[in-house]
Amino acid sequence: MVAISTSNLRKTYGDVTALADLSLSIDEGELFGALGPNGAGKTTTIRILTGQLQPDSGTASVLGFDPVSEPVETRRHIGILPEQESPPSFLTPREYFDFVGTVRDIPSDVVDERVDAWTERLSFAEKLDTVSTDLSRGQQQKVMITQAFLHEPEVVFIDEPLANLDPIVQERVKDFLVAYRDAGNTIFISTHHIEVAEEVCSRVGIVSGGELIAERRPSELGPNESLLDTFLENVGSATAEVQGLLGP
Amino acid sequence: MTGSLNRRLFVGMLREEWRMHANLFGGARFAAFPLFVLALGAGAVWLLTTTAVATVSTLVLGVHALVFAFGLQTGTTAFLGRDAARNLLGDMTLLVFTARTLPVSQRRLLAVFLLKDAVYYSGLFMVPMALSFTPAVAAGQLAASDVALLWGTATTTFLLGVAVTFAGISLATRGVSGRVVALALGVGLAAAVVSGIDVVGYTPYGIYQGATVVETTVVLAAIPLLAVLGIAVYDPNYSTPARTAGDAYGRWRDRLPFRDDAVTAKTLIDVSRSSGGLFKIVFSGSILLAVGVFLLELAGEIASVDPAPGVTLGAILGLSAFTTYNWLTQFDDLDEYRLYPLDVADVLRAKRRAFLLVSVPTGVGFYALAVAWQSPTVWDALAGVVVHVGLQVYLFGVTVYLAGFSPNEFLFDTVLFAAFTLAVAGPVVPIVVAGFVVSAGTPAVLAGIAVGGVVLALAGGVLVRRATPKWERATRT
Repeated sequence: MVAISTSNLRKTYGDVTALADLSLSIDEGELFGALGPNGAGKTTTIRILTGQLQPDSGTASVLGFDPVSEPVETRRHIGILPEQESPPSFLTPREYFDFVGTVRDIPSDVVDERVDAWTERLSFAEKLDTVSTDLSRGQQQKVMITQAFLHEPEVVFIDEPLANLDPIVQERVKDFLVAYRDAGNTIFISTHHIEVAEEVCSRVGIVSGGELIAERRPSELGPNESLLDTFLENVGSATAEVQGLLGP
Repeated sequence: MTGSLNRRLFVGMLREEWRMHANLFGGARFAAFPLFVLALGAGAVWLLTTTAVATVSTLVLGVHALVFAFGLQTGTTAFLGRDAARNLLGDMTLLVFTARTLPVSQRRLLAVFLLKDAVYYSGLFMVPMALSFTPAVAAGQLAASDVALLWGTATTTFLLGVAVTFAGISLATRGVSGRVVALALGVGLAAAVVSGIDVVGYTPYGIYQGATVVETTVVLAAIPLLAVLGIAVYDPNYSTPARTAGDAYGRWRDRLPFRDDAVTAKTLIDVSRSSGGLFKIVFSGSILLAVGVFLLELAGEIASVDPAPGVTLGAILGLSAFTTYNWLTQFDDLDEYRLYPLDVADVLRAKRRAFLLVSVPTGVGFYALAVAWQSPTVWDALAGVVVHVGLQVYLFGVTVYLAGFSPNEFLFDTVLFAAFTLAVAGPVVPIVVAGFVVSAGTPAVLAGIAVGGVVLALAGGVLVRRATPKWERATRT
């Protein structure tokens, strides 16, 4: 069953085309990685699918909800971890999780239980009462990862999941993402890191120039193939086409 | 090489300052801002001197006070550090913070930055502010040369404000408490006043008034001295130790009558934990109370009228709504709430509740103080409180409608600021003038003014309702 889909999405900012014509379909239980160069349209796609931004044209659906016309209802059922988003400056992580619990209608004993599990998983229990503005970037990222999963949503959108995390925590997060997918949930990851996509994603879509230009399943790569080669082949030729370097 | 580098840094910082403002407010809109200041200032000078509400010398004093406050605020924004600047201006890195990555000393960057501030603000803001007094020159109340002098002393006042803040913040980065610095300044000032020193003479305003050579030299020397002190001790890598806090969110939420509204509780914590805490809202109210009482007494002296203090002070204190709303929206933005199942209406409802919990009681408290101090008639006091609450609700509506959740960013957007000025002046000026004119006032006239207050509150409600779809559209495209 399809969890996330878009059809001919287009979004421009003035003269800049962020999404040219993006169509994709992601099934329930997939861990889909959107891989692409800077400015490819990955973050714009996430912002549209999570109801934060309206496209110029095209349609989108997440768990059967239309994020354009039903942004709040869509966000009620999903988790979001944006790139470079910090927890509220003047709340401690403990207060922030309580805040998220209130907004998402999670009973406080359930919040406490889940926060305990996350602080152990990401090793930040000793920071629960530190005012967020005084946390390091890595600690802030741990807090933001926790809030995205606190209500155990069926679909989660993550922009650069491992940013600012140390290698040990990166491994734990990757293991968790795979386990979360195996439990039947859907995850949409946007990343620049090919090795991360290759390691955790069940399917990778290469986005360039605001379009989905290729798709590969890492599990189906041959012994002499790598996602990097696929990426360079497709993004390289797409870039050359844009620049008019290739003939018809 | 050194001269060339300084020149390039100066030009780069000047361009950066312009682009920062142009990016925030739109190039043409920001470029028109000096013309707007000139038009607004000239109109105010003409109106206030023609109606004899204020003299030219009072207005000149007011300009110096305003510019000093502007200098203090500019210095705070610039030098509190990259993280603080980011909170206010968004995600940006200024050239003054590039010493970490480029082979340029922090001291050189700070010195050029101060010079840039002097040139930029003296040209864009002090020139039109000084030229605002042209109507007074035309009316023969001021010599043309005084306008040039005013420009010089206003610029000096601005720089003094920046230098004072910069030196204070620099000392704070070396562990000297801001409270200690403020206390030392206060004690020094009090000692000077008690010992009979003419403190005003040792200010740029004193220079305008014709200070002695010694006084002028002291004032002019103070600015570079403070700047050098600041440059010498400023630590750009300073950060406060990590703070811990108990669970205030739960306590706030339990106290509020709407337990499911997480954003209201968060907003109140944001304000209470930011610099100055909830006291800054009280401070803004006390400034307005002092200004209101000063104006009342001045009007009594100059125009020989006996104003209605209830209505007048109710209106003036109502202006605190803008600054309070500013504090309530200073520490978050709409995008951060888009991670959750919340929309513009939810956030706006929370801000309105926080406003009603904080701004209205504080304003009414100050109004009660003013009533006890100025002893209006019962009818005047009742009309005043209605006007005060009505104006607060109206200003909330106007600000939300025009500026959304970023009221502090639109002050240099000429079109928005002009609209805001008109929307505020429209009801406030007639009420204040009526307060001056009606004197003890008949109950019928005061009842009419009170009805005006109710109408303002209703207008505010309508604006808030219209703001919701407007900002929902504007922030998702």
